[in-house]
Amino acid sequence: MKVLTTLRRIRCPKLISPWTLTAMALLVSPAFATVDDAHGFAMEAAMPYVEQGFIVREDYWNGEVKSGQQLMIRHQLFKGNEYAFWLGTAQEDVTFELKVYDEKGKAIEIDEKSDQMFHSVRVNPPKTGTYSVVFSLKSKKDKGVFWALAYGYR
Amino acid sequence: MTIPHAVRLFPAIGVGIGFALLSSVNAQGTSEGVQEFDPLAFPGYVVGEVVVPVPSEVFSVLDKLGEPNWQQEIRDLDLPASSDRTQLSLLFGSVVAEGFVAVQAEDKQAVQDIGRKVISLSTSLGLKESVLPHAQSILDAADRSDWPTIRKEFDLTQKTVRDTMEQMKDSDLSQCVSLGGWLRGTASVTSVITKGFSADRAELLNQPMLVEHFLKSIKTMPDRTRDHRAIHKIDQGLQAIHNQMVSAVDGFTKPSVREISIVCEDLLKEIRARG
Repeated sequence: MKVLTTLRRIRCPKLISPWTLTAMALLVSPAFATVDDAHGFAMEAAMPYVEQGFIVREDYWNGEVKSGQQLMIRHQLFKGNEYAFWLGTAQEDVTFELKVYDEKGKAIEIDEKSDQMFHSVRVNPPKTGTYSVVFSLKSKKDKGVFWALAYGYR
Repeated sequence: MTIPHAVRLFPAIGVGIGFALLSSVNAQGTSEGVQEFDPLAFPGYVVGEVVVPVPSEVFSVLDKLGEPNWQQEIRDLDLPASSDRTQLSLLFGSVVAEGFVAVQAEDKQAVQDIGRKVISLSTSLGLKESVLPHAQSILDAADRSDWPTIRKEFDLTQKTVRDTMEQMKDSDLSQCVSLGGWLRGTASVTSVITKGFSADRAELLNQPMLVEHFLKSIKTMPDRTRDHRAIHKIDQGLQAIHNQMVSAVDGFTKPSVREISIVCEDLLKEIRARG
């Protein structure tokens, strides 16, 4: 199976306000979409959460994945914090799916919200430990989908 | 359009078992309708990149569980003069973590001192240019007691340094930054827990995946880094910490927290050792 999934570390734009970042993201033509744009949309998703006191981490995951291909990220969460994950894409007509599982493989309750270019999920981890974040992005017209997953806590 | 280069993607166990399995493992339903998931049998792709939490993620929980005296947790920043890039990277991570402690204590002077140490260490690492804007933002925000901005800039500083190191093909040094930061953050956490032990606080130390990630990253370091005195000791220390974590099936005891604390403090001493 040819895997279209790639990852890379990218630099976060420095000293750019979230509003400028959003404006930049909105100006992006799908024909030139990149992982950077996907991160821009993830940050757009984060904005209302920041207003509610969430602290956005500067580190994030990103890449390009075959449409519909599932990806898994293992991540440390601490009981007592509320977390939000923001999954952004750079393409239109994408449907998102994201679930969070605890160490025993039990899906934990999440509060999710979707928009055209991003998907937001809130999680209150019942225990401190490693969680599996499993997600996919399905495009109606593209074989590959650019994605970025950021998170914040409060 | 630039196609990103592929890094660290590991097909999970079970790839190749077939499309039928792929679709069924998505969210395996039980008879009760409860979704269960086995990460070891995940048929998709595991993103190998591990994001290490910043110390303030743990500190914020400790704040909710009580009122730790963060001022007591700030350590003296007597750093050795060194040209050893492995040691400098470990020191850099630990100093940024110290910055998170100072933010938690809302200690303006400590933040400014740490900001200056960040500049000094980044100069020694040859990364002053990329770090300076963030360090300056830290110093400016400290003047305004703007703690959220300082916290964000410490996070950005660390990310910038690690990204720059990786671009320079120094991913071992980038891992050293993360290691130094995690050790200093964990030392603070264990110190707070030891002073006011509770099961909820101690549970914050349940981080075996992160320790496994560090152990694995040490294994893949080039010989010159892996044979470094401090890295060798960190490797041994992390094994001891991992043993404590995996044996805490019924929760951490006060002695086990103290044990992790002692290991972290010893390793930090090693990182700060002169010549």
